[in-house]
Parts: sequence; structure tokens; C-alpha cells
Amino acid sequence: MPLLKVDSITCGYGDMEVLTEVSARIEEGEIVSVIGPNGAGKSTLMKAVFGLIHPWQGTITFRDTDISRMEPYDIVSLRMCYVPQVSNVFTDLTVEDNLEMGAFVLDDADLDERKERIFELFPRLAERRRQPAGKMSGGERQMVAMGSALMLEPQLILLDEPSAGLAPKMVSMIFERITRINEAGIAIMMVEQNAKESLRMAHRGYVLANGENRVEGGGRELLDDPEVARLYLGG
Amino acid sequence: MADTQYDETEDTAPGTPARAAGELRTGERIREALQSRTAMVVSIVIILVLLWWAAVAQDVSQYRLLSLTVWGVMLGGVIALGAIGLTLIYGVLKFPNFSHGALVTLGAYIAYTIVIWWPGQSPAIGPFSFGWDLIVGMVVAMPLVGLVALGLDRVVYRRLRRQDSPLVLFAMASLAMAFFVRSIIYLVWGSDFHFYYQGRPNPALDLGFGVRVQADALFILGLAMVMVALVYLLLGRTKMGKAMRATANNPELAQVRGINTERVIAWTWIMSGALAAAGGVMYGLASQLRPEMGFWLLLPMFAAVIMGSIGNPRGALVGAIIIGVAQQVSTAFLSPAYGPAVAFVLMVITLLIRPQGLFGGPGD
Repeated sequence: MPLLKVDSITCGYGDMEVLTEVSARIEEGEIVSVIGPNGAGKSTLMKAVFGLIHPWQGTITFRDTDISRMEPYDIVSLRMCYVPQVSNVFTDLTVEDNLEMGAFVLDDADLDERKERIFELFPRLAERRRQPAGKMSGGERQMVAMGSALMLEPQLILLDEPSAGLAPKMVSMIFERITRINEAGIAIMMVEQNAKESLRMAHRGYVLANGENRVEGGGRELLDDPEVARLYLGG
Repeated sequence: MADTQYDETEDTAPGTPARAAGELRTGERIREALQSRTAMVVSIVIILVLLWWAAVAQDVSQYRLLSLTVWGVMLGGVIALGAIGLTLIYGVLKFPNFSHGALVTLGAYIAYTIVIWWPGQSPAIGPFSFGWDLIVGMVVAMPLVGLVALGLDRVVYRRLRRQDSPLVLFAMASLAMAFFVRSIIYLVWGSDFHFYYQGRPNPALDLGFGVRVQADALFILGLAMVMVALVYLLLGRTKMGKAMRATANNPELAQVRGINTERVIAWTWIMSGALAAAGGVMYGLASQLRPEMGFWLLLPMFAAVIMGSIGNPRGALVGAIIIGVAQQVSTAFLSPAYGPAVAFVLMVITLLIRPQGLFGGPGD
């Protein structure tokens, strides 16, 4: 049974339909990359999975629970978390408080241990634990955002364009950390502009276009697919 | 494995140019200097010195001036209790709650009812003019007013929130609620002035250096400080407090993190109402109870909130004390009725020099 199952959902904002009968699944411990042109509905799919918008039709199941109508604060308790593309840190709060908020729904008993684990993964954050996150650079903020999500000890992380707006050096660093997080057994669903790079590290990928499923397959498979390359990877 | 090293400047993508100081034009530089925190602190200091100087020029003795200043700090404590609630609500819900003054009044009158109902006259505690009945009154009024604030939110503001109403509707609704609560106070308690303890002596204590202050004033100041400190600990150390700051900072992300923002909002209302009630009781003790008392405190509270940067409780405290002192010292040579005008002047100066207040960043 897959960890997450999106079963032919249709949804959108207001009257505007963005996704039409989109299906996807994520197995335990997988990296799944969702690619497609701008406006294909990649971010919308992620928002629907996380309960920020509710599907009009179709169901979303996480483990055994139907989460289609659940609110984000309830979904978080099921150990799924979401890293938005923009404003994904509390700028007024210190790095440490940001991390603590990541574990808001958990018991505080081993809070310090969990924080230390994040600081091991991102030593840079340990140095700046008392700094407000708003005073940090773009790359450091992305670390805070991912660190806060990891505080939940999630089974699935949804990453919305983790490399957006970062310099090439930072991008490879963030991608390297994503691989490492996945090696710890955490499933990852990511939406990326940087399609080639993200397919290279993904176990499987989905290509969305116009709010519909187009192609799906293994990460390598999609990379080598001439059709996908021509249409969505820019040659 | 070592963390990848990189330069501060290199890690944002090209296209977001760094604004170097040298690139600013002279005009911008002058403007920036005028709008700096230093400029604002300097102008506040100048205003306070002018007030003191005006008092001295009117032959007010320096002892009285010193006492007035101490009184001002006390009044600042009372304003701060109201202003902190106001700034918290603004921080989380982003609207100016004009009904906050009415909550202050309501708190004062609920405590008054307890004092009236108290069997017999409660004897005064130590050097103070009040007895345990007032303390009990305050302890009862705080949660009650907190619940009233929560009730108003459930009935009015939450509906507006659900409909994503524009800010101006929230502000108008809160103004309407101010009149509503005030009318209820008129209905229940009448329009007469009241004192918690009619005619009970409250002699001033000599603090040395010729400073004479009533024991009650010291109590009010002490209690206000303790409550502000508690709010501080709550916001800085507890999970709920951090969740409040997180929700104020970024409500969408707060939800993503699993924070039930409606619950945070509820607690913010309760806290804000309770602090307003405490402020009301202390204000009533320092002067007298009248249905308009909170309304007159509204302007100084807003001035304090704006001066200390909207949404910042520490700023509200600092702003409140500055405004309290300015108001009290001005009574040395002005009718106390001009108190709110003094607060208003300070508010306008803040808005002109540095609209984001003492503790705000340049982009706020």
C-alpha cells in the first residue's frame, strides 16, 4: 500500500479549475518529483495534498487515513509536512524558535535532542540559533525551513521549489541534503523548476501539464524519454 | 561532513542587487538620517525636556516635577497594560481594535461591583487605600473581560475573518462594539462617577529627595511591571506564546506548522481582555470610574502602540511609559484634560518621523 495516494482529484481556486482528475502515489521512502511547465498545477497539487485547499472530487489517502477534507494542522499530526516556496520561515522568530514551531504538534519531551539532530544536518544553523530568521540569507532560510519541517520527524515531506532563487552553489548543497534526508527513510515529494536535476535524484516522477497527468515513470526513464526531454526539459 | 561554505553575498540569485550605502543619493541619505531611530529618540527626548523646562518656567518646584514624573511612569504602566493587548491583537489579526477602551472600562466596573457587594467594608491593606475586595474584584474581572473579548470575536470578528473582510470593516465593527459595550455599561452602572473607596484617605509617602507618591501609585506601577514581565515570559518562553508570535508573524505558515490559529486567536483575545481589565481596575483606583474612562485611554494606548512599533509588546511598554510621563508632566502647567492631546502630539510626531515606530525595521 502506498504511503500517499492521490486518487483522481479535481480542484482549484474559486470557480477556476486547476487540476483535472490528477492521480499520483508515493511509496514509503521514495523521492517523487513532479515536473511540468509553469501553470501546470504542480504547486496546487501539493496544496491539495496538504489540505490547504480541498479537492472538489476524488480522494487523498495518507497511510490509512482519508485526508481529503482535513485541515493542515490535523494533517501535520499524521507526520506529513510541507515546505512552502516563499515565506517559509517566521522572520521575527529566532532560528531555534522556528525549529520549535516545526514540532508544535509533538510532545516537548525530546525537543532538545531533535533540535541537535537538525543542527548536525545544518551546522550553519547551530551557529546562528539565536538570530532572527528574517536576518538570514536565502540559503540559510531554506535550511531553517527544511529543518523546521524535519523537526516533526515526518514520514513525508512536501517540498515546493526548494531551489527557487538560490545561487548554483546553494542549489547543489540543498539537493545534497534532500538526498541525505531521504536516505534516513523519509519520503519526499518535490516540485521543481530545475526539472533535470530533480529527476536525476528522484526514484519516480510525474509530468503534469494543463492540470492533467501526462507522463509518469522512473526518474531516469523520464530523463531519457525523448518526448519528455523535448517538451518539458528544454531539449 | 562539513557544511558547504559559501559567501553571504553569493547565495541569493543574481537579479536581487545588494543596496550598498554608497549607491544612495544625498537626498535619500538625508531622509534616512531624519527617519532613523536616533532621530526619533532625540526628538522624544527634546519633547520631554521641553515639557520639563516649560514646567520649571512656570515656577513648578522640582520636587513636584519629580513626583509628577514618577506618577507618569505609573500612568505609563496602566497605559501599557491596555496597549499590550492592543498591540497583540493587531499583531495577530492586523486590525486596530477600537473597542479595547470599552474593555478597560468594563474591567473597572466589574471590579467595582465586587467591591460594592463585598460584605462590610474591607479594611485597607497596609499603607494602601484598598482592601482585599479590590484584589478579588480584579481577579474576577480579568477572566470575565477576557471572555467578553472572546465572545465579541466569536460573534463579530470571526465571521468577518471567515469572509476575508477588508480591514476597514474590522475597524468599523470594533468601533461599533466600543459603543455597544459602553452603552451596556451606561445601562448597568449609570452615568455617575464612582470611586472604589469614597473618601478613604490615601496619604502620599515620602520617598526621599522630596518625592511624594501615594502608596497606591507604587502598587499600580509594581503590578503593571509584574504583568508586563509575565506577558514577556509567556511570549518568549511558552509554547503558546511562541505560537502567538508565530501566528502574528506569518499566519499561513503557522497553520502549515500545525498551529491551530483559531485557538491562538482565542487565547490572544482572552489575554488582551484580561490585561485591559487589570489596566481598568488600576486606572479606576488612580482616578475615578466613569463610563468614558477607557475611551479617553484609547488615544494614549494607540499612541504607545504606534510609538513602540505596532505588534511589538516591548515597544508598547516603552511607548506607554514615555506617553505616561509626558502626560503627567504636562499637567504641571496644562489642564489634565489636555492629557490625550499630549499623547496625540507624540503620536503625530512618531508618524511623521518614523511611522514604523521605535522598534520597527525600515521595511515594516
